[in-house]
Amino acid sequence: MGRVKKNFTISSKMIFTVLVILCVALIIVSYLFADLLSPVKTAVGNFFVPMQKGIATVSSGISDKLRIFSDKQDLIEENDRLTEEINELKTEMQILIHQEYELTWYRDLYENDSVYQNAEKVAARIISRNPNGSCDMFVIDKGEEDGIKRDMNVLAGGGLVGIITDVGKNWAKVRTIIADDSSVSGRFQPTSDTCIVKGNLRRMDDGYIDVEMINLNAEVYDNYEVLTSYISDKYLPGILIGYVTNIQKDPSELNKRAYLTPVVDFEHLEAVLIVKTLREDLEGFE
Amino acid sequence: MMIIIKAIIILIEIIIAYLLQTSVFTELRLADVVPDILMILTASLAYIFGKKTGILTGFVSGMLIDCTYGSLIGLYALMYTVVGYVAGYAHKVYDENDYTLSFFIVGGSEFLINLMYYILFYFLKGDLDLGHFLVRYLFPRVIYTVLISIILYRLINMNNSLFYRLSKSIKKEKRVTVFNGFNVDDDRQDI
Repeated sequence: MGRVKKNFTISSKMIFTVLVILCVALIIVSYLFADLLSPVKTAVGNFFVPMQKGIATVSSGISDKLRIFSDKQDLIEENDRLTEEINELKTEMQILIHQEYELTWYRDLYENDSVYQNAEKVAARIISRNPNGSCDMFVIDKGEEDGIKRDMNVLAGGGLVGIITDVGKNWAKVRTIIADDSSVSGRFQPTSDTCIVKGNLRRMDDGYIDVEMINLNAEVYDNYEVLTSYISDKYLPGILIGYVTNIQKDPSELNKRAYLTPVVDFEHLEAVLIVKTLREDLEGFE
Repeated sequence: MMIIIKAIIILIEIIIAYLLQTSVFTELRLADVVPDILMILTASLAYIFGKKTGILTGFVSGMLIDCTYGSLIGLYALMYTVVGYVAGYAHKVYDENDYTLSFFIVGGSEFLINLMYYILFYFLKGDLDLGHFLVRYLFPRVIYTVLISIILYRLINMNNSLFYRLSKSIKKEKRVTVFNGFNVDDDRQDI
Protein backbone atom coordinates (compact mmCIF):
# COMPACT_ATOMS: atom_id res chain seq x y z
CA MET A 1 0.00 0.00 0.00
CA GLY A 2 2.81 2.37 0.94
CA ARG A 3 4.64 1.61 -2.28
CA VAL A 4 1.50 2.24 -4.31
CA LYS A 5 0.97 5.61 -2.65
CA LYS A 6 4.54 6.64 -3.30
CA ASN A 7 4.15 5.75 -6.96
CA PHE A 8 1.01 7.83 -7.13
CA THR A 9 2.61 11.06 -5.92
CA ILE A 10 5.63 10.62 -8.15
CA SER A 11 3.51 9.97 -11.19
CA SER A 12 1.31 13.03 -10.64
CA LYS A 13 4.41 15.21 -10.57
CA MET A 14 5.79 13.33 -13.53
CA ILE A 15 2.62 13.85 -15.55
CA PHE A 16 2.75 17.51 -14.68
CA THR A 17 6.38 17.88 -15.76
CA VAL A 18 5.85 15.92 -18.96
CA LEU A 19 2.78 17.96 -19.92
CA VAL A 20 4.45 21.29 -19.16
CA ILE A 21 7.44 20.31 -21.28
CA LEU A 22 5.04 19.15 -24.01
CA CYS A 23 3.20 22.49 -23.88
CA VAL A 24 6.41 24.49 -24.10
CA ALA A 25 7.58 22.32 -26.99
CA LEU A 26 4.26 22.81 -28.77
CA ILE A 27 4.44 26.58 -28.25
CA ILE A 28 7.91 26.65 -29.79
CA VAL A 29 6.90 24.36 -32.67
CA SER A 30 3.75 26.34 -33.45
CA TYR A 31 5.70 29.58 -33.24
CA LEU A 32 8.39 28.41 -35.64
CA PHE A 33 6.24 26.37 -38.03
CA ALA A 34 2.78 27.87 -37.94
CA ASP A 35 1.40 25.67 -40.73
CA LEU A 36 2.63 22.39 -39.29
CA LEU A 37 -0.16 22.14 -36.71
CA SER A 38 -2.98 23.58 -38.78
CA PRO A 39 -4.37 20.12 -39.73
CA VAL A 40 -4.90 19.50 -36.00
CA LYS A 41 -6.74 22.80 -35.66
CA THR A 42 -8.88 21.95 -38.67
CA ALA A 43 -9.72 18.52 -37.30
CA VAL A 44 -10.75 19.94 -33.91
CA GLY A 45 -12.83 22.58 -35.67
CA ASN A 46 -14.55 20.00 -37.86
CA PHE A 47 -15.43 18.02 -34.74
CA PHE A 48 -16.98 20.91 -32.81
CA VAL A 49 -18.60 23.00 -35.50
CA PRO A 50 -21.65 20.76 -36.10
CA MET A 51 -22.44 20.90 -32.36
CA GLN A 52 -21.88 24.63 -32.20
CA LYS A 53 -24.09 25.07 -35.24
CA GLY A 54 -26.83 23.14 -33.48
CA ILE A 55 -26.50 25.23 -30.35
CA ALA A 56 -26.49 28.45 -32.37
CA THR A 57 -29.66 27.37 -34.16
CA VAL A 58 -31.38 26.37 -30.92
CA SER A 59 -30.28 29.45 -29.00
CA SER A 60 -31.31 31.81 -31.78
CA GLY A 61 -34.63 29.96 -31.92
CA ILE A 62 -35.10 30.39 -28.17
CA SER A 63 -34.09 34.02 -28.23
CA ASP A 64 -36.54 34.62 -31.05
CA LYS A 65 -39.25 33.06 -28.93
CA LEU A 66 -38.29 35.10 -25.92
CA ARG A 67 -38.05 38.31 -27.85
CA ILE A 68 -41.72 38.38 -28.77
CA PHE A 69 -44.79 36.23 -28.35
CA SER A 70 -45.51 33.44 -30.76
CA ASP A 71 -48.30 35.17 -32.69
CA LYS A 72 -45.73 37.68 -33.84
CA GLN A 73 -43.38 35.03 -35.15
CA ASP A 74 -44.11 36.00 -38.74
CA LEU A 75 -43.12 39.56 -38.00
CA ILE A 76 -39.82 38.38 -36.54
CA GLU A 77 -39.03 36.28 -39.57
CA GLU A 78 -39.86 39.14 -41.85
CA ASN A 79 -37.80 41.46 -39.69
CA ASP A 80 -34.81 39.14 -39.84
CA ARG A 81 -35.09 38.92 -43.58
CA LEU A 82 -35.40 42.66 -43.89
CA THR A 83 -32.45 43.26 -41.55
CA GLU A 84 -30.32 41.06 -43.72
CA GLU A 85 -31.55 42.89 -46.77
CA ILE A 86 -30.84 46.23 -45.16
CA ASN A 87 -27.33 45.09 -44.36
CA GLU A 88 -26.80 44.11 -47.96
CA LEU A 89 -28.32 47.34 -49.18
CA LYS A 90 -26.17 49.33 -46.80
CA THR A 91 -23.12 47.68 -48.26
CA GLU A 92 -24.44 48.41 -51.70
CA MET A 93 -25.23 52.00 -50.74
CA GLN A 94 -21.80 52.63 -49.29
CA ILE A 95 -20.30 51.41 -52.51
CA LEU A 96 -22.55 53.69 -54.53
CA ILE A 97 -21.85 56.71 -52.36
CA HIS A 98 -18.15 56.16 -52.64
CA GLN A 99 -18.38 55.51 -56.32
CA GLU A 100 -20.26 58.71 -56.86
CA TYR A 101 -17.74 60.61 -54.81
CA GLU A 102 -14.86 59.12 -56.65
CA LEU A 103 -16.51 59.75 -59.98
CA THR A 104 -16.98 63.37 -59.17
CA TRP A 105 -13.55 64.07 -57.78
CA TYR A 106 -11.16 61.39 -58.84
CA ARG A 107 -12.55 60.13 -62.10
CA ASP A 108 -9.21 60.09 -63.76
CA LEU A 109 -7.31 58.58 -60.91
CA TYR A 110 -9.56 55.87 -59.59
CA GLU A 111 -11.85 54.72 -62.32
CA ASN A 112 -11.69 51.14 -61.12
CA ASP A 113 -12.73 51.75 -57.53
CA SER A 114 -15.20 49.62 -55.62
CA VAL A 115 -14.10 46.37 -57.15
CA TYR A 116 -16.04 44.48 -54.59
CA GLN A 117 -19.34 45.83 -55.86
CA ASN A 118 -19.74 43.12 -58.47
CA ALA A 119 -17.86 40.48 -56.57
CA GLU A 120 -19.76 37.44 -55.38
CA LYS A 121 -20.63 37.58 -51.69
CA VAL A 122 -21.73 34.90 -49.24
CA ALA A 123 -23.75 35.53 -46.10
CA ALA A 124 -22.70 33.59 -42.99
CA ARG A 125 -23.85 33.29 -39.42
CA ILE A 126 -21.56 33.56 -36.39
CA ILE A 127 -21.63 30.31 -34.43
CA SER A 128 -19.02 30.79 -31.74
CA ARG A 129 -16.79 33.47 -30.27
CA ASN A 130 -13.49 33.70 -28.48
CA PRO A 131 -13.95 31.99 -25.08
CA ASN A 132 -12.30 34.89 -23.23
CA GLY A 133 -15.23 37.12 -24.15
CA SER A 134 -13.52 39.59 -26.43
CA CYS A 135 -14.76 40.18 -29.97
CA ASP A 136 -11.39 39.74 -31.66
CA MET A 137 -12.18 36.38 -33.23
CA PHE A 138 -15.23 34.38 -34.16
CA VAL A 139 -16.19 31.31 -36.17
CA ILE A 140 -18.73 31.38 -39.00
CA ASP A 141 -20.77 28.53 -40.45
CA LYS A 142 -19.39 28.65 -44.01
CA GLY A 143 -16.18 26.96 -45.08
CA GLU A 144 -14.32 25.30 -47.91
CA GLU A 145 -17.51 23.68 -49.15
CA ASP A 146 -18.97 27.13 -49.77
CA GLY A 147 -15.86 28.36 -51.52
CA ILE A 148 -14.40 30.29 -48.62
CA LYS A 149 -10.65 30.74 -48.73
CA ARG A 150 -8.03 32.24 -46.45
CA ASP A 151 -7.58 36.03 -46.64
CA MET A 152 -11.08 36.71 -47.94
CA ASN A 153 -12.52 39.97 -46.64
CA VAL A 154 -15.48 39.97 -44.27
CA LEU A 155 -18.04 42.79 -44.25
CA ALA A 156 -21.15 43.69 -42.29
CA GLY A 157 -23.45 46.66 -42.43
CA GLY A 158 -21.37 48.37 -45.08
CA GLY A 159 -18.10 48.23 -43.19
CA LEU A 160 -15.06 46.05 -42.86
CA VAL A 161 -15.28 43.38 -40.14
CA GLY A 162 -12.03 41.52 -40.69
CA ILE A 163 -10.35 38.76 -42.60
CA ILE A 164 -10.55 34.96 -42.77
CA THR A 165 -7.56 33.37 -41.05
CA ASP A 166 -8.42 29.66 -40.92
CA VAL A 167 -10.77 27.58 -43.03
CA GLY A 168 -12.25 24.16 -42.27
CA LYS A 169 -14.70 21.95 -44.13
CA ASN A 170 -17.79 23.87 -43.13
CA TRP A 171 -16.43 26.63 -40.89
CA ALA A 172 -14.01 29.51 -41.03
CA LYS A 173 -12.31 31.65 -38.43
CA VAL A 174 -12.47 35.42 -38.78
CA ARG A 175 -10.02 37.82 -37.16
CA THR A 176 -11.67 41.19 -36.70
CA ILE A 177 -9.97 44.54 -37.24
CA ILE A 178 -10.22 45.32 -33.52
CA ALA A 179 -7.94 42.38 -32.58
CA ASP A 180 -4.63 43.47 -31.12
CA ASP A 181 -2.64 41.74 -33.84
CA SER A 182 -4.65 43.17 -36.70
CA SER A 183 -3.39 46.03 -38.83
CA VAL A 184 -5.04 47.32 -41.98
CA SER A 185 -3.60 49.75 -44.44
CA GLY A 186 -6.09 52.58 -44.88
CA ARG A 187 -6.58 55.95 -46.53
CA PHE A 188 -8.69 58.98 -45.69
CA GLN A 189 -11.60 59.56 -47.95
CA PRO A 190 -11.39 63.10 -49.19
CA THR A 191 -7.63 63.53 -49.07
CA SER A 192 -6.26 60.05 -49.79
CA ASP A 193 -3.62 60.33 -47.09
CA THR A 194 -2.55 56.88 -46.00
CA CYS A 195 -2.54 55.43 -42.51
CA ILE A 196 -2.44 52.14 -40.64
CA VAL A 197 -5.53 51.05 -38.71
CA LYS A 198 -4.42 48.94 -35.75
CA GLY A 199 -6.71 46.91 -33.53
CA ASN A 200 -6.78 47.73 -29.85
CA LEU A 201 -9.10 45.67 -27.68
CA ARG A 202 -8.59 47.84 -24.64
CA ARG A 203 -9.45 51.09 -26.42
CA MET A 204 -12.42 49.25 -27.96
CA ASP A 205 -14.07 49.39 -24.52
CA ASP A 206 -14.62 53.07 -25.28
CA GLY A 207 -15.56 52.28 -28.88
CA TYR A 208 -12.30 53.21 -30.59
CA ILE A 209 -9.35 51.54 -32.24
CA ASP A 210 -6.04 53.13 -33.24
CA VAL A 211 -4.97 54.88 -36.43
CA GLU A 212 -1.23 55.25 -36.77
CA MET A 213 1.40 56.42 -39.23
CA ILE A 214 -0.51 59.43 -40.49
CA ASN A 215 1.82 61.81 -42.29
CA LEU A 216 2.58 64.95 -40.30
CA ASN A 217 1.57 67.10 -43.23
CA ALA A 218 -1.62 65.21 -43.94
CA GLU A 219 -4.72 67.33 -43.82
CA VAL A 220 -6.97 65.19 -41.72
CA TYR A 221 -9.88 66.32 -39.59
CA ASP A 222 -12.39 64.67 -37.30
CA ASN A 223 -15.07 62.49 -38.88
CA TYR A 224 -13.14 61.87 -42.07
CA GLU A 225 -13.87 58.44 -43.46
CA VAL A 226 -11.16 55.81 -43.47
CA LEU A 227 -11.28 53.26 -46.29
CA THR A 228 -9.01 50.32 -47.07
CA SER A 229 -6.19 51.54 -49.28
CA TYR A 230 -4.90 50.48 -52.66
CA ILE A 231 -1.55 49.38 -51.33
CA SER A 232 -2.88 46.67 -49.04
CA ASP A 233 -2.06 43.17 -50.24
CA LYS A 234 -4.89 41.42 -48.40
CA TYR A 235 -7.77 43.87 -48.16
CA LEU A 236 -9.76 44.92 -51.19
CA PRO A 237 -9.55 48.67 -51.81
CA GLY A 238 -12.37 51.06 -51.02
CA ILE A 239 -14.10 49.27 -48.10
CA LEU A 240 -15.25 51.63 -45.35
CA ILE A 241 -13.53 50.97 -42.01
CA GLY A 242 -14.74 53.83 -39.83
CA TYR A 243 -14.54 57.47 -38.90
CA VAL A 244 -11.50 59.17 -37.44
CA THR A 245 -11.46 61.33 -34.29
CA ASN A 246 -9.03 62.75 -31.74
CA ILE A 247 -6.12 63.39 -34.11
CA GLN A 248 -2.88 64.20 -32.31
CA LYS A 249 0.85 64.10 -32.74
CA ASP A 250 2.60 60.82 -32.08
CA PRO A 251 4.99 60.94 -29.11
CA SER A 252 7.77 60.23 -31.58
CA GLU A 253 6.92 63.55 -33.34
CA LEU A 254 7.43 61.80 -36.66
CA ASN A 255 3.80 61.30 -37.57
CA LYS A 256 0.28 61.69 -36.27
CA ARG A 257 -2.06 59.23 -34.64
CA ALA A 258 -5.79 59.19 -34.07
CA TYR A 259 -8.75 57.17 -32.86
CA LEU A 260 -11.13 55.43 -35.21
CA THR A 261 -14.78 54.55 -34.60
CA PRO A 262 -15.54 51.40 -36.62
CA VAL A 263 -18.80 51.39 -38.56
CA VAL A 264 -19.44 47.81 -37.53
CA ASP A 265 -21.01 47.04 -34.15
CA PHE A 266 -18.78 44.13 -33.15
CA GLU A 267 -20.60 43.42 -29.89
CA HIS A 268 -23.92 42.64 -31.55
CA LEU A 269 -22.74 41.10 -34.77
CA GLU A 270 -24.80 38.09 -35.80
CA ALA A 271 -24.30 37.64 -39.52
CA VAL A 272 -21.58 38.75 -41.91
CA LEU A 273 -20.93 38.92 -45.65
CA ILE A 274 -17.82 37.39 -47.16
CA VAL A 275 -16.45 38.78 -50.40
CA LYS A 276 -15.31 35.88 -52.54
CA THR A 277 -12.76 37.91 -54.47
CA LEU A 278 -9.22 37.81 -53.14
CA ARG A 279 -6.96 40.84 -53.36
CA GLU A 280 -4.33 38.84 -55.21
CA ASP A 281 -6.87 37.89 -57.88
CA LEU A 282 -7.34 41.51 -58.86
CA GLU A 283 -4.74 41.45 -61.59
CA GLY A 284 -4.44 44.44 -63.80
CA PHE A 285 -6.00 46.56 -61.14
CA GLU A 286 -4.19 49.80 -60.56
CA MET B 1 -11.76 -0.36 -16.43
CA MET B 2 -12.93 2.27 -13.96
CA ILE B 3 -10.27 4.62 -15.21
CA ILE B 4 -11.56 4.35 -18.78
CA ILE B 5 -15.14 5.08 -17.71
CA LYS B 6 -13.87 8.01 -15.66
CA ALA B 7 -11.86 9.32 -18.61
CA ILE B 8 -14.87 9.08 -20.92
CA ILE B 9 -17.14 10.83 -18.42
CA ILE B 10 -14.63 13.64 -17.92
CA LEU B 11 -14.07 13.97 -21.66
CA ILE B 12 -17.81 14.38 -22.20
CA GLU B 13 -17.88 16.96 -19.40
CA ILE B 14 -15.04 18.87 -21.05
CA ILE B 15 -16.82 18.89 -24.41
CA ILE B 16 -20.05 20.15 -22.81
CA ALA B 17 -18.13 22.81 -20.89
CA TYR B 18 -16.33 23.91 -24.04
CA LEU B 19 -19.58 24.20 -26.00
CA LEU B 20 -21.20 26.11 -23.14
CA GLN B 21 -18.31 28.51 -23.00
CA THR B 22 -17.93 29.22 -26.71
CA SER B 23 -21.53 29.11 -27.90
CA VAL B 24 -23.91 29.69 -25.01
CA PHE B 25 -22.20 31.98 -22.53
CA THR B 26 -20.69 34.21 -25.23
CA GLU B 27 -24.30 35.27 -25.80
CA LEU B 28 -24.84 35.74 -22.05
CA ARG B 29 -22.00 38.13 -21.41
CA LEU B 30 -22.10 40.26 -18.27
CA ALA B 31 -19.86 43.33 -18.17
CA ASP B 32 -18.33 41.99 -21.38
CA VAL B 33 -16.85 38.90 -19.77
CA VAL B 34 -17.61 35.22 -20.30
CA PRO B 35 -17.48 32.89 -17.29
CA ASP B 36 -14.66 30.41 -17.57
CA ILE B 37 -16.60 27.13 -17.60
CA LEU B 38 -13.55 25.04 -18.47
CA MET B 39 -11.80 26.57 -15.47
CA ILE B 40 -14.71 25.66 -13.20
CA LEU B 41 -14.51 22.10 -14.49
CA THR B 42 -10.72 21.85 -14.15
CA ALA B 43 -10.65 23.32 -10.63
CA SER B 44 -13.63 21.28 -9.44
CA LEU B 45 -12.29 17.99 -10.77
CA ALA B 46 -8.86 18.74 -9.31
CA TYR B 47 -10.56 19.44 -5.99
CA ILE B 48 -12.71 16.33 -6.13
CA PHE B 49 -10.30 13.77 -7.60
CA GLY B 50 -6.83 15.20 -7.00
CA LYS B 51 -3.87 16.46 -8.95
CA LYS B 52 -3.68 13.80 -11.66
CA THR B 53 -7.23 14.36 -12.85
CA GLY B 54 -6.79 18.13 -12.51
CA ILE B 55 -3.67 18.16 -14.63
CA LEU B 56 -5.14 16.02 -17.40
CA THR B 57 -8.47 17.85 -17.46
CA GLY B 58 -6.63 21.16 -17.57
CA PHE B 59 -4.39 20.00 -20.36
CA VAL B 60 -7.25 18.74 -22.56
CA SER B 61 -9.37 21.87 -21.89
CA GLY B 62 -6.49 24.19 -22.66
CA MET B 63 -5.64 22.24 -25.79
CA LEU B 64 -9.22 22.65 -27.04
CA ILE B 65 -9.04 26.43 -26.68
CA ASP B 66 -5.59 26.46 -28.27
CA CYS B 67 -6.73 24.43 -31.26
CA THR B 68 -9.74 26.62 -31.95
CA TYR B 69 -8.88 30.11 -30.75
CA GLY B 70 -5.21 30.24 -29.85
CA SER B 71 -2.54 31.70 -32.06
CA LEU B 72 0.14 29.53 -30.47
CA ILE B 73 -0.76 25.95 -29.61
CA GLY B 74 0.15 25.14 -26.01
CA LEU B 75 -0.25 28.49 -24.23
CA TYR B 76 -3.71 27.89 -22.80
CA ALA B 77 -2.88 24.22 -22.23
CA LEU B 78 0.09 25.31 -20.12
CA MET B 79 -2.00 27.72 -18.05
CA TYR B 80 -4.82 25.24 -17.44
CA THR B 81 -2.35 22.45 -16.61
CA VAL B 82 -0.66 24.61 -13.99
CA VAL B 83 -4.01 25.56 -12.48
CA GLY B 84 -5.15 21.92 -12.46
CA TYR B 85 -1.97 20.99 -10.61
CA VAL B 86 -2.22 23.79 -8.05
CA ALA B 87 -5.94 23.24 -7.43
CA GLY B 88 -5.16 19.55 -6.93
CA TYR B 89 -3.53 20.41 -3.60
CA ALA B 90 -7.01 21.26 -2.30
CA HIS B 91 -8.04 17.62 -2.70
CA LYS B 92 -6.58 16.96 0.77
CA VAL B 93 -9.42 18.95 2.36
CA TYR B 94 -12.14 17.65 0.02
CA ASP B 95 -15.51 17.04 1.62
CA GLU B 96 -18.36 15.75 -0.51
CA ASN B 97 -21.02 17.68 1.37
CA ASP B 98 -19.22 20.99 1.69
CA TYR B 99 -20.00 23.41 -1.12
CA THR B 100 -18.55 26.63 0.28
CA LEU B 101 -14.91 25.71 -0.06
CA SER B 102 -15.29 24.96 -3.77
CA PHE B 103 -16.13 28.59 -4.50
CA PHE B 104 -12.86 29.72 -2.98
CA ILE B 105 -10.99 27.13 -4.98
CA VAL B 106 -12.69 28.07 -8.25
CA GLY B 107 -12.23 31.77 -7.49
CA GLY B 108 -8.59 31.28 -6.57
CA SER B 109 -7.96 29.24 -9.72
CA GLU B 110 -9.63 31.85 -11.88
CA PHE B 111 -7.51 34.53 -10.21
CA LEU B 112 -4.37 32.49 -10.85
CA ILE B 113 -5.14 31.80 -14.50
CA ASN B 114 -5.94 35.44 -15.14
CA LEU B 115 -2.66 36.51 -13.57
CA MET B 116 -0.86 34.10 -15.90
CA TYR B 117 -2.96 35.45 -18.75
CA TYR B 118 -1.92 38.97 -17.83
CA ILE B 119 1.74 38.05 -17.72
CA LEU B 120 1.68 36.14 -21.01
CA PHE B 121 -0.59 38.38 -23.05
CA TYR B 122 -0.11 41.87 -21.57
CA PHE B 123 3.05 42.14 -19.51
CA LEU B 124 5.32 40.54 -22.08
CA LYS B 125 3.83 42.80 -24.75
CA GLY B 126 4.82 45.83 -22.71
CA ASP B 127 1.39 46.67 -21.30
CA LEU B 128 2.10 47.36 -17.65
CA ASP B 129 -1.26 48.76 -16.59
CA LEU B 130 -2.18 46.05 -14.10
CA GLY B 131 -4.89 48.18 -12.44
CA HIS B 132 -6.89 48.44 -15.64
CA PHE B 133 -6.60 44.71 -16.22
CA LEU B 134 -7.73 43.97 -12.67
CA VAL B 135 -10.81 46.16 -12.84
CA ARG B 136 -11.77 45.52 -16.43
CA TYR B 137 -11.12 41.78 -16.79
CA LEU B 138 -9.90 39.98 -13.71
CA PHE B 139 -12.49 40.89 -11.07
CA PRO B 140 -15.53 40.64 -13.37
CA ARG B 141 -14.28 37.28 -14.65
CA VAL B 142 -13.63 35.91 -11.16
CA ILE B 143 -17.01 37.10 -9.87
CA TYR B 144 -19.00 35.82 -12.85
CA THR B 145 -17.14 32.50 -12.86
CA VAL B 146 -17.73 31.97 -9.14
CA LEU B 147 -21.42 32.83 -9.57
CA ILE B 148 -21.82 30.27 -12.34
CA SER B 149 -19.81 27.72 -10.37
CA ILE B 150 -22.45 27.84 -7.61
CA ILE B 151 -24.73 25.97 -10.00
CA LEU B 152 -22.15 24.04 -11.98
CA TYR B 153 -20.17 22.71 -9.03
CA ARG B 154 -23.31 21.05 -7.69
CA LEU B 155 -23.80 19.31 -11.03
CA ILE B 156 -20.18 18.24 -11.25
CA ASN B 157 -20.18 17.02 -7.67
CA MET B 158 -23.46 15.17 -8.18
CA ASN B 159 -22.00 13.52 -11.25
CA ASN B 160 -18.98 12.60 -9.19
CA SER B 161 -20.98 11.00 -6.40
CA LEU B 162 -22.94 9.02 -8.99
CA PHE B 163 -19.62 7.89 -10.38
CA TYR B 164 -18.47 6.88 -6.91
CA ARG B 165 -21.60 4.86 -6.31
CA LEU B 166 -21.02 3.12 -9.63
CA SER B 167 -17.42 2.34 -8.77
CA LYS B 168 -18.49 1.10 -5.31
CA SER B 169 -20.99 -1.29 -6.81
CA ILE B 170 -18.33 -2.60 -9.16
CA LYS B 171 -15.96 -2.99 -6.23
CA LYS B 172 -18.62 -4.95 -4.38
CA GLU B 173 -18.82 -7.33 -7.33
CA LYS B 174 -15.05 -7.62 -7.22
CA ARG B 175 -15.20 -8.41 -3.52
CA VAL B 176 -17.60 -11.22 -4.25
CA THR B 177 -15.12 -12.65 -6.72
CA VAL B 178 -12.37 -12.30 -4.13
CA PHE B 179 -14.59 -14.04 -1.65
CA ASN B 180 -15.02 -16.87 -4.08
CA GLY B 181 -11.30 -17.12 -4.37
CA PHE B 182 -10.68 -15.66 -7.84
CA ASN B 183 -7.84 -13.40 -8.74
CA VAL B 184 -6.96 -11.61 -5.53
CA ASP B 185 -4.27 -9.50 -7.21
CA ASP B 186 -6.81 -7.72 -9.38
CA ASP B 187 -8.46 -6.24 -6.35
CA ARG B 188 -5.20 -5.05 -4.86
CA GLN B 189 -4.36 -3.06 -7.95
CA ASP B 190 -7.73 -1.42 -7.83
CA ILE B 191 -6.98 0.18 -4.45
